[in-house]
Amino acid sequence: MTTRLQHIRDHILAENKCMDMTSPLPSPLTTHVLNTGMGVPGAGMALSLHRLDPVTSAWSLITAGTTNDDGRCPGLITRECFTPGVYKIRFESGQYWEGLGETCFYPYIEIVFNITDAAQKFHVPLLLSRFSYSTYRGS
Amino acid sequence: MTSLKDSSPLTTHVLNTGDGLPAARMALSLHRLDPQLVLWSLITVGTTDSDGRCPGLISREAFTPGLYKMRFETGQYWESLGQTCFHPYVEVVFSITESDQRYHLPLLFSRYSYSTYKGS
Repeated sequence: MTTRLQHIRDHILAENKCMDMTSPLPSPLTTHVLNTGMGVPGAGMALSLHRLDPVTSAWSLITAGTTNDDGRCPGLITRECFTPGVYKIRFESGQYWEGLGETCFYPYIEIVFNITDAAQKFHVPLLLSRFSYSTYRGS
Repeated sequence: MTSLKDSSPLTTHVLNTGDGLPAARMALSLHRLDPQLVLWSLITVGTTDSDGRCPGLISREAFTPGLYKMRFETGQYWESLGQTCFHPYVEVVFSITESDQRYHLPLLFSRYSYSTYKGS
């Protein structure tokens, strides 16, 4: 994780209980990054979760993290903070491929999605190569 | 726009994979990132035709290297079909380094998924 993201994460941890990577309760929102170009999990990819403020129409950062060796990022959000609304996950795809010594057509990828029933679990994977990506609502 | 038909160096094709049809009458827009202001400038607004295409996105002269974004109004599209959609809109941000090439950016989508790739 870059220093800038570490600072943001520390600030959020200090003032915001919405991100809790030590909680035994799993996040109701999960992701999984897969590098389909190489057939491996997308490990070490920086990502961030944001919620759209319906009044100001501005995005608020909820969580910043990095995928683990399996391409996952546990603890994205707590059940209490996961309210209905419009969210986005931003994946730093350009940085990721640069770390592997490659270029990428997509400097970053933002997936915007609508949560109406926040009591459910939502899985938002990203399948990514240097020149393509896909996402879906999974389980 | 007629004179630019088929000659745009950047094209798209939007396919509704949920219904197995081209996505006709989907609103979309093309934007370029101004590197100094770090702001998105709107280049083109359009609507897909009955084949899910939108000719004349940009002229060869205007297509310079940089960061671009295609925004597809997927939420509006599904709403017009009386359905909800998980993704209220889709924005694909991409980097053009060699603007003398042709770029084809399709969007394949359903109510709960989408994919895109650099095609031809």
